[in-house]
Amino acid sequence: MKGKRSQGLGALLFIVFSALGLVGGTYAADYRPLLGLDLQGGVSVVLQPVGEASDESLDQALSIIRQRVDALGVAEPEITRQGNTILVQIPGVQDPDRALELVGQTAELRFRPVQSVIPEEQVQAMLTDPDSLFPTVTTLPTGTTVTDGATSTTSAPGTTAPPTGPADSVNDGSGDADELGFGAPGQELAAAQVAPVTTEAPPTTAAGSDTVPPEVVPPDTIPAPEIADFDPASMLAQLELTPDDQDNAEAEVVLGQYDEEGNLVARFVLGPSLLTGETLESARAGLEVAEWLVRPVFRSGPEGIDQFNAAAATCNPPSPTCPTGQLAITLDGRVISAPVIQASLFTRDQVQITGGFSEREARDLALVLNYGALPLELEPQQSQIVSATLGSDALSAGLIAGAVGVALAALYMLAYYRLLGLVGILSLVISGSLLWGLISWLGETQGLALTLAGITGIIVSIGVSLDSNIVYYENVKEDVRNGRTVRSAVDRAFTSAFSTIVKADVASLIGATLLYLLTIGSVRGFALYLGIATVLDLVASWFFMRPAARLLASSPRLANNPRALGITLPAEAS
Amino acid sequence: MSVLGRLYRGENDFDFQRAWRYGAAISVLLLATSIGALLTSGLDLGIDFKGGVAWEVPAPGVSVGEARTTMAGLGEGNAKIQIVGENILRVQAGPQTPEEVDSIRETLAALGGAEHGDVSVSVVGPSWGEEITEAAARALVWFLLAIAAYITVRLEWRMAVGALVALVHDIIITVGVYAIFSFEVTPNTVIAFLTILGYSLYDTIVVYDKVHENAARDRGREPYGAIMSRSINQVLMRSLNTTFTSLLPVVSMLVVGAGILGAVTLGDFSIALLVGLLVGAYSSLFVAAPVVTLLHRRDAANLEARARLERQDRASVRAGADSLDAGGDSTPASDEPARPALFSTGHPPRPRKQGKRR
Repeated sequence: MKGKRSQGLGALLFIVFSALGLVGGTYAADYRPLLGLDLQGGVSVVLQPVGEASDESLDQALSIIRQRVDALGVAEPEITRQGNTILVQIPGVQDPDRALELVGQTAELRFRPVQSVIPEEQVQAMLTDPDSLFPTVTTLPTGTTVTDGATSTTSAPGTTAPPTGPADSVNDGSGDADELGFGAPGQELAAAQVAPVTTEAPPTTAAGSDTVPPEVVPPDTIPAPEIADFDPASMLAQLELTPDDQDNAEAEVVLGQYDEEGNLVARFVLGPSLLTGETLESARAGLEVAEWLVRPVFRSGPEGIDQFNAAAATCNPPSPTCPTGQLAITLDGRVISAPVIQASLFTRDQVQITGGFSEREARDLALVLNYGALPLELEPQQSQIVSATLGSDALSAGLIAGAVGVALAALYMLAYYRLLGLVGILSLVISGSLLWGLISWLGETQGLALTLAGITGIIVSIGVSLDSNIVYYENVKEDVRNGRTVRSAVDRAFTSAFSTIVKADVASLIGATLLYLLTIGSVRGFALYLGIATVLDLVASWFFMRPAARLLASSPRLANNPRALGITLPAEAS
Repeated sequence: MSVLGRLYRGENDFDFQRAWRYGAAISVLLLATSIGALLTSGLDLGIDFKGGVAWEVPAPGVSVGEARTTMAGLGEGNAKIQIVGENILRVQAGPQTPEEVDSIRETLAALGGAEHGDVSVSVVGPSWGEEITEAAARALVWFLLAIAAYITVRLEWRMAVGALVALVHDIIITVGVYAIFSFEVTPNTVIAFLTILGYSLYDTIVVYDKVHENAARDRGREPYGAIMSRSINQVLMRSLNTTFTSLLPVVSMLVVGAGILGAVTLGDFSIALLVGLLVGAYSSLFVAAPVVTLLHRRDAANLEARARLERQDRASVRAGADSLDAGGDSTPASDEPARPALFSTGHPPRPRKQGKRR
């Protein structure tokens, strides 16, 4: 028996220390439960597409929305997709109406001529240490090349390339900055950049003609301009990113290009939009001659390829509208790619975009182009603006009510089951601490939010937890009444009680799981918290309740005084 | 000895088989009332199910009448207006254009003397509400099926049937209460319903587990009804205690949370939970149990046990036992042994075994 007792003790210590450790760790890491919308205020909206929508376009819409919401600078937005529905929850947002507007807008794919490109590093340098920046002699960036698909070669001997770094485009997001020259002060920052021209395809033929036209080899340096007044402030002002609501098709804008992690890599100064994604029919990424490229297909006629050709003509050869010869593809205020236009006339299905893409980059670009061809219009089905005051009122009400309820229940347990009741309360504290730690950790790492529905789930689970105790104690009482000693009753009663507890908890879990899988929104949160609390109840029952009861029973003083454990023997009927 | 005293000492020995007759009558009454209310006044569905717009603004000192005049001025005189919690004005109306939503929001903010940002707005498209309802109904059906399967596997199919009957009974009555009192049905209400089902089920399973345990031992010797009745007595205290400890937080949410502190959402939950908990506890004992007993009536072990009883009866009668009536018409069709309940379970109490409890 002693061996068994120490085994139980081990389990008990394990769970107590785990609970303490978890709570302590939570405090140390300053993890807190993440409050949901109805508790801290904010905006939530459910969006559904108008008409049919493919999975890819929904995913693309999702990432667009995510970008927009991130730009709002909110902590912990939650943007998820369930089937055909996109659910956006933005807690703690300052301007809820604007957020709602922003989220539901349809994104437009635009082609804008590039007037200049400035890597972000240089912008940062300008901000922090302007004097270190003198316009320098440069080597030239290579752009990705846009060619007529008739030629298979996109580079020819003698192509200049900057000796450094990946020889492809500014837009592979690698963040390697090619150095640029600044124009002489007084000029607009849209300094002329000449891209290394590679091949130029014969304008009209579609069939494979492999002619390699004369190359234009640009000088690879630009004479250093004079530095008269170098005014960082005004340059910076011109380089400020255009905010979303001013990102109009007719305006000149400054947009950024971002890498995979969402860091700003370069800023593009762009002219007004020359055409939109609706000129596209489709786009496909493919592996050709050991290189990944993207083949957009334009619609025919004035709605499609004609517009593209008009844009190409302004970029090739470079004109004041398009001094760099690059045409930026932008979606939702971000530059996705900015290839150099290699020809001035294209056939609608013979366009290819190359630039040393990885498979992923090529596929991503194709996705964006496809999306732009048929932008998804999303309609809000349900939206909610919860004011922060109502939210925090609800929170405090929930907490107070919960606390009062728990206190009352605890008092009752003490009164009815005496010391065993104390065990029950402690068991509740243990599973409560575990729950707290778990919720805080999940909130920080997974963005799991605690809503009012969740709090209700937790309050409900208090009843479940106490019930496990009650089932056990009643079993103990019955065994004692039937003649067992308290000590042995505590052991035996647990086996049958636990079997009951497991059955009932599993039924609860089945319900919670189903609810979680089949519903949306607040019901889901409720199901999750109920499920977690139920599991923790099982844990606490096994690891704490039994050893603690056993401990109590093994004390000889208590064993001989069952009333202290809330057990009245029939003989004591007074 | 008082009833409570007996309960506390675990010496209760109520005759549940008789109680079930009353229970049946009560249940039928409740069900009829609920269905009647559903058919006549119907449910008060909130905007999440019907579609529409709801505004909530703290508006101390504003009465429903004033609000209605204001709303009428905006052309929405039929809007549903309530004061919830402490001075929070809640207005619900049918679908609106975004401009209308905003202008009503401004008006209400002015009325309540609050900031624009203090008004909570909820907009629901009409088809969304349908989708939610459908999703909830689907979840419910799957839940019932899964539970039935689980109980069948772990216990027995008759208990699954009993559990389902009890759950449906609970749903109808709780929904009926909402219809009778015109409480508003929101998604939170749905959550509460599902919680109740969970609780009721939990309760039912605890009872079933005890019966299962006892029946495994006493099948051939006692009629099922007697076993059931005895088992319920054994778990009665636990049932009562659990219901009570579960009720305390819920009542606290209702009284403290919604009543004193004015958190409306808590009120939505709490009412449903309160009703449901009570009905759920009741149904475990008075619906689920008798259904299972009924289903066991014709099974072999039960019939054998009854036959045995009959033989015992007749033996005692023939032996001239004094206090026992010879009303020995215990046909298999009747549920009760046809003699006065000297011992409520129909036979002298069995000596308790000190051995292994299975």
